[in-house]
Amino acid sequence: MSRKYTLTFLILSGLFISLSAFGKDAGTGERTYGAGVEEIESVSISDIAADPEAFDGKTVRVEGMVTDVCSKRGCWIEMAGNAPGEKARFKVKDGEMVFPMSAKGKSAVAQGKVVAQKLSLEETRELEAHYAEEAGREFDPESITEGKTVFRIQGTGAVISD
Amino acid sequence: MGWRKTFRVLHRDIGYFIAALTLAYCISGIAVNHIEDWNPNYRFSQKEVDIGPLPGGTYLQMQQYVVSALNIDASMVKGHFMETETQFRVFLENTEEVIVDIRSGKGLYKQVENRALLYKINALHLNNIKGVWTWVADAFAVLLIFLTITGVFIMSGKKGLSGRGKWFLAAGFTVPLVFSWYIIA
Repeated sequence: MSRKYTLTFLILSGLFISLSAFGKDAGTGERTYGAGVEEIESVSISDIAADPEAFDGKTVRVEGMVTDVCSKRGCWIEMAGNAPGEKARFKVKDGEMVFPMSAKGKSAVAQGKVVAQKLSLEETRELEAHYAEEAGREFDPESITEGKTVFRIQGTGAVISD
Repeated sequence: MGWRKTFRVLHRDIGYFIAALTLAYCISGIAVNHIEDWNPNYRFSQKEVDIGPLPGGTYLQMQQYVVSALNIDASMVKGHFMETETQFRVFLENTEEVIVDIRSGKGLYKQVENRALLYKINALHLNNIKGVWTWVADAFAVLLIFLTITGVFIMSGKKGLSGRGKWFLAAGFTVPLVFSWYIIA
């Protein structure tokens, strides 16, 4: 009885360990988050930034270097466009995908729905101040002189590679 | 062997088995409960740098200047980005980063470190890694439920459920019930 019982526990332990080990990253230098991305043509972040309302509600795939990551919950990344300061925020539901800070500087391909929103000057400053605080950056409200239409990509999946 | 003895034996041995993960989840629970006050996953540090005005040219040339001025191994560089018209960022391995003003050359060398133990156990607790760990965590939760149920019935007599146990059990129910009734709209 005692030997069988010990054996059962050892098997249980082995099962836990092997299940845990099975989930380990294969070390390909590439990691998929959420549903990943489809094989569709990527849209330039600069194109979306130039006219967010034209893309509002559309599902897009974008590519760019990760410039910032939500440091507390890992619930968003920002991806670089081509022009200075041009970025797309890729937002996911808390816990659905969790991006590590080590993603900064890596290449990302991400897919999701564009959400465009027209903001007043006050709202734009508040939003930028919030973004800067989350990213741990300095922010000068006076650097924003007019309200703008902002956009984010409500994410369904991403692939980040070294 | 009677059912109570079986419960006692299983409760004891499963208790040993899940002690480590229970502790890990509890420690992580406390850590992430206070996420508004601190960062439970990362530790941040930064130091000021002053490398002089960056030479004109391409962004790649500016990146090379920053790397050279700060004696950074070129293989550490992951990429660069113009944050604003004047703020230039160079991303490095190990979640390090340099951000400098291209006109003055003044800026910051930023480092982010994972909190050694907490980063790992938070990832397990919050199931950041998904995949197979979801099933491991489910199995762990089932064992915890089993442990709770057997714990309630393990003792008999005055110290058991029919004795003072029922009052402790009721008190334990009261805490979440009161909070959920009065606090959660």
